[in-house]
Amino acid sequence: MESTSPTPPVDLVRRAQRGEPDAQRELIVAYQHRIAGFVYAIIGRSDAIEDIAQLVFIKMVRALAGLQAPAQFESWLFRLARNTCIDHLRRQKLRRIFTPFAPEHENVPEPEGAVGSEELDALRHALAQLRPQDRALLALVQEGRSHAEIAVTLRTSVAAVKARLHRAREHLREHYQPNHEN
Amino acid sequence: MPENIFENITNRTMKTENQVWSDLRSHAATQLRPGFADRVVRAAQAGAKAVPSLTSIFALSAATVAVCFLVVALSGDSARDAAENDFNLAGWQKIADAADEFAVNL
Repeated sequence: MESTSPTPPVDLVRRAQRGEPDAQRELIVAYQHRIAGFVYAIIGRSDAIEDIAQLVFIKMVRALAGLQAPAQFESWLFRLARNTCIDHLRRQKLRRIFTPFAPEHENVPEPEGAVGSEELDALRHALAQLRPQDRALLALVQEGRSHAEIAVTLRTSVAAVKARLHRAREHLREHYQPNHEN
Repeated sequence: MPENIFENITNRTMKTENQVWSDLRSHAATQLRPGFADRVVRAAQAGAKAVPSLTSIFALSAATVAVCFLVVALSGDSARDAAENDFNLAGWQKIADAADEFAVNL
């Protein structure tokens, strides 16, 4: 597994909390790729990654002053990203109820060559069959978060995380078909 | 390290779960255009200036409520005044008619 970046120094978070643009920029640069990957795992569309990631970081900058424990910054940021993605999907669902797309405009596939490999395409397809909450859970595991850290991020118990993770993995395994033969 | 749930799905050589997830993250990272962090900081600062403070929102709401009360009170007063004037004019009209009739009879 790709090693995750070390937690940013509390001092950097505090400087960003005080509104120093350089510190805020440094935090964004440190996390932008991880958040982009996390967003992609939940949203499943390349063309939405930058917009959603931007929204996450704008929320981060605005809400940072209210973060009571700078040491918990990373869990807080991933919770913010998860909630932003899930809100986006809910809004999208609601919007489609009131202004439904024509059938040919629903689930427009990504352009040819937009996705790197067959396996990646299969992973995207399998993730799309899961609930957004489960996608977020699997993405957090891939971020190298421990069960305890995920429990803090999701504000739930470690036992609940383990149970949900087990179910999510089972579902992912069911839907993962890299050679389209199964 | 999470278990590799993708192993033994097919017989051919496959990337492991972690490799595929790593591909996913790499692909996602390439979707961010250069200067992403600068754009975000600028957008956050611009948004912060554009968003009114809670105090100013409350002050604006209070001023709106005050103006509404004032308009209701003034329009109520003027409506009452108009009705009273009509009543008084009608009374005076009766007195004037009676005075005219009295003058004719004399």
